[in-house]
Amino acid sequence: MASDLKPLALRREGDGLAIDWNDGVRTFATWRTIRKSCPCASCNEERQKPADPFKLLSDVEVSAGSPQPAQMAARGLYAYQITWNDGHDTGIFTLELLRKLGQPTS
Amino acid sequence: MQPGPGNIPTLEGVRHIIAVGSGKGGVGKSTVSANLALALHMHGQRVGLMDADIYGPSMPMMMGLGPVDPQIASFPIEKYGLKIMSLGFLPDAGKGVLLRGPMVAKWVATFLTQINWGELDYLIIDLPPGTGDAQLTLCQTAPLTGAIIVTTPQDVSLIDAVKALNMFRQLKTPILGVIENMSYFVGDDGKRYEIFRHGGGLKLAAESGVRFLGNLPIDPRVVECGDAGEPIVSKFSDSPIAKLYLELATVIMDASAKAGKEKLPEVIL
Repeated sequence: MASDLKPLALRREGDGLAIDWNDGVRTFATWRTIRKSCPCASCNEERQKPADPFKLLSDVEVSAGSPQPAQMAARGLYAYQITWNDGHDTGIFTLELLRKLGQPTS
Repeated sequence: MQPGPGNIPTLEGVRHIIAVGSGKGGVGKSTVSANLALALHMHGQRVGLMDADIYGPSMPMMMGLGPVDPQIASFPIEKYGLKIMSLGFLPDAGKGVLLRGPMVAKWVATFLTQINWGELDYLIIDLPPGTGDAQLTLCQTAPLTGAIIVTTPQDVSLIDAVKALNMFRQLKTPILGVIENMSYFVGDDGKRYEIFRHGGGLKLAAESGVRFLGNLPIDPRVVECGDAGEPIVSKFSDSPIAKLYLELATVIMDASAKAGKEKLPEVIL
């Protein structure tokens, strides 16, 4: 992957995020995939634990439904920070991670 | 959520934001920042100087400013034609600042987003040593034109300068170049002494593929002027080192113009 990889355009398409990259590649990742790969410290810790079948969801989590972004803002020149519909907003997705999560579509 | 580049009203009138970092402490980041800011001002530029060293702010002393009453003071404070902001302006800062990382990040973000910087050609940001909260917050929050790496010639400084350089690269912040500070000393006999060796900065720039911006010599008057509250570029504007800073400012102006102002595209949701 080129070290000067840059997104040219990012937009919601259906249930996911489509990105046009400066090397001509177009990628698509579902919001669910992106949310499951949140790189923040608490999500990283959560992923290392065995699944908790008795975990009680908060009211916000229950009413949020499937993961959807409420906001997605650039962080400097290297990443985007997503605020999700369940209020979670600590994940900073680097350009490299967004590229890795997306499936090439062209 | 922190504000991101492009939506910070306090920085909208600022043309170029330049971070001065080193990785290592004690290499002269604050001295270079203060003198470079003044040199840019002497070239007719409107310049701000933000002291992002929250634990060890040195800009108030270097600029002949002390603690102020934050209830009545108007920030940034103006001195020598520069707009200056530092945590050292707070009355209790001299006692020492005990803060965990997130609070450091908060102060840096506050300086960027709550201080009315107005119309500036350059905002020079003096970073603390290291590659931590202050640096990350700055690179995440401010639309930086680029970063300058300051190093001294010896290996022990270069190993940390490389880390700072790599950090800026990871954060995709353009690197304007490397400055070698304390590069040499010219004695009364006119001879040049390379006290801390020489050429490390040039080597670092060449190996990293970035521009070498220049060498700055050791001059005891730099220390005296800093302690007395008037940087050497202002106090002895005809001195050889002041002339080097004026040349350096020209190089920085050129590099900033070429670097432009990149931004990531907005996401259409």
